[in-house]
Amino acid sequence: MSGEHLLARTDEAQLFRDLSRSNQVTTWRWFAGMGILALVLLWGIGVFVYMMTTGMGVTGLNRPVFWGVLIVNFVFWIGLSHSGTLISAILRLTHATWRAPILRAAEAMTAFSLLVGALFPLIHLGRNWRFYYTIPYPNERGLWPNMRSPLMWDAVAINTYLLGSLTFLYVGMIPDLALLRDNSTGWRRKLYSILSLGFRGTHAEWRRYHVASTFFAILIIPVAVSVHSIVSWDFAMAKVPGWHSTIFAPYFVVGAIFSGIAGVILVMAVLRRVFRLEKALTPLHFDNLGKLLCTMSLLWGYFYFTEFLTVWYNRNPEEWEVFRSYGKSFLPVFLLMITCNFIVPFPLLCLRRVRRSVPAIFGVSLLVIVGMYSERVLIVVASLARRNDPFIWHNYFPTWVELSITAASFAMFTMLYMVFSKIFPIMAISEIKERLFHTTERAIGNATAEAIARVEEHGEGEVK
Amino acid sequence: MSGVVVIGLFDGVEKAARAGKALRSLPLPAGNITTISGVPLPDGAVCEDPRPIRFPRVVIAAWFVGALAGLGLALATYLLYPLITAGKAIVSIPPTLIVTYEIAMLFALMATLIAGALEMGLGRFKARKVHDPRIHEGKIAVCALVEPGDQARRAAGALTEAGGTEVRVEEGEL
Repeated sequence: MSGEHLLARTDEAQLFRDLSRSNQVTTWRWFAGMGILALVLLWGIGVFVYMMTTGMGVTGLNRPVFWGVLIVNFVFWIGLSHSGTLISAILRLTHATWRAPILRAAEAMTAFSLLVGALFPLIHLGRNWRFYYTIPYPNERGLWPNMRSPLMWDAVAINTYLLGSLTFLYVGMIPDLALLRDNSTGWRRKLYSILSLGFRGTHAEWRRYHVASTFFAILIIPVAVSVHSIVSWDFAMAKVPGWHSTIFAPYFVVGAIFSGIAGVILVMAVLRRVFRLEKALTPLHFDNLGKLLCTMSLLWGYFYFTEFLTVWYNRNPEEWEVFRSYGKSFLPVFLLMITCNFIVPFPLLCLRRVRRSVPAIFGVSLLVIVGMYSERVLIVVASLARRNDPFIWHNYFPTWVELSITAASFAMFTMLYMVFSKIFPIMAISEIKERLFHTTERAIGNATAEAIARVEEHGEGEVK
Repeated sequence: MSGVVVIGLFDGVEKAARAGKALRSLPLPAGNITTISGVPLPDGAVCEDPRPIRFPRVVIAAWFVGALAGLGLALATYLLYPLITAGKAIVSIPPTLIVTYEIAMLFALMATLIAGALEMGLGRFKARKVHDPRIHEGKIAVCALVEPGDQARRAAGALTEAGGTEVRVEEGEL
């Protein structure tokens, strides 16, 4: 090791250019993509206005299925949001050395999928213009939200998680915003100056910044777990066969982490390709996330089998009818779910060459997303379609209204991400620089290994 | 302490550490010396941060305030807008725990942002703080708050002797 520890281990200017390419270069493809997505979003907004003015009858909702694709979308987007912040927080707390290039993409995914997901209860509301009835404030109507309702717990939890995730994303960006401030001009400089709050990188600032980051990570993990538990209780608290289950909270959390990791991999693969981030997002990152995805596939399979086994053995007629419908009317959805969530991903993800191949793991993650969406369709729709009284059993198919709104939600998510990547650093540049600073090449025999210094403060001025 | 800031740029940590040591021996208190860098340095590597980090206490206090607020919201709801359902308690404990917990966590998260930013001194846009954007090129800026005149000259000399470049004296805050 040389006698002098340099902060700049690489050409810093080149590193900055590589990692902030998304902020610097805007091609016609970006505008074309935004244009197409804006059209889809506008179409979805138009359809929503049509649904609002005409009534919920234009959807496929009918007795007994009063929760359909709009609620499936809600659970799907909230589930997708689950992993971003959670992964980021866990990797920060465990000082995972490979975390840096993943953090920002994951945190942004959480924030945007939450923003999209939180719209669906309002879209599904029916008389949407009276959404403010759900807000607790003294009013002449004498109405107040019912805190005993799981839907109200949901509102409280999602607001906490949304604000927490946005803050977590923002705090993680402060050093990078300072970096951009010092490297930009015009309106961007003004914007970054305000958002970076005057962060300079003094010794005292860094120390407090690290403590604040750790606190955020510690606080956001239980919030993330609670949010999806509460989403599951929207279902589990009702005496509906297929929903009323004690296992639902951990099962939902596992499912959410599963789909969330798949979402992070998809986002990373797209960013890597679009912004040419091959040097930052290496096969190692996909390999590590692939291992996590493999574990979650196994866990999901375990939970699903446990849930099925107890119903199968017990043969409670009401609950068994729901499972029987998986083999009849809902067979295609059931097969899609099992195939995409377990049968294909688990064995494939056991293979190192699949995990290290970006196109392959992209494909597997896409399958998981499809599988998890199918799972939510089965949970929401199949349980209601086979609810207690056989005289009212009725299948549900979404109409063009729900499908349009669903397409618009995907467009909105992608647009938010595209706008974000134009204005804000999509890579955690400071974290990457910090990792480079702590990394040295160490010769072990004829091999060269990467050695990473980890700094631990033990007490007043004592550093190990 | 009112004064001026002496600032010098260094290529490596060891040179910056020598500068930090030289400034301490002037003598200058630890609180008057700091680094500005694009990457965090361990405490004690170049300078020490003598100020204790206090904002976690605010976060913990905010958690309890949030818990009280959540508890108050749930209880007030039950009592002011009682929802009478056969066989169900008007004041229900499990939902109260959930609402209390979520609002407590929200308060703690917001307190981390606000108290953390305040303790870092962020958001003071009008304050004239010394800075050098070349830290993003890998330089370390070693800065010291000194009295104008002789102490400033000696501090600048110490930074130059330790291998500092672009050593200068600026009006402003650390």
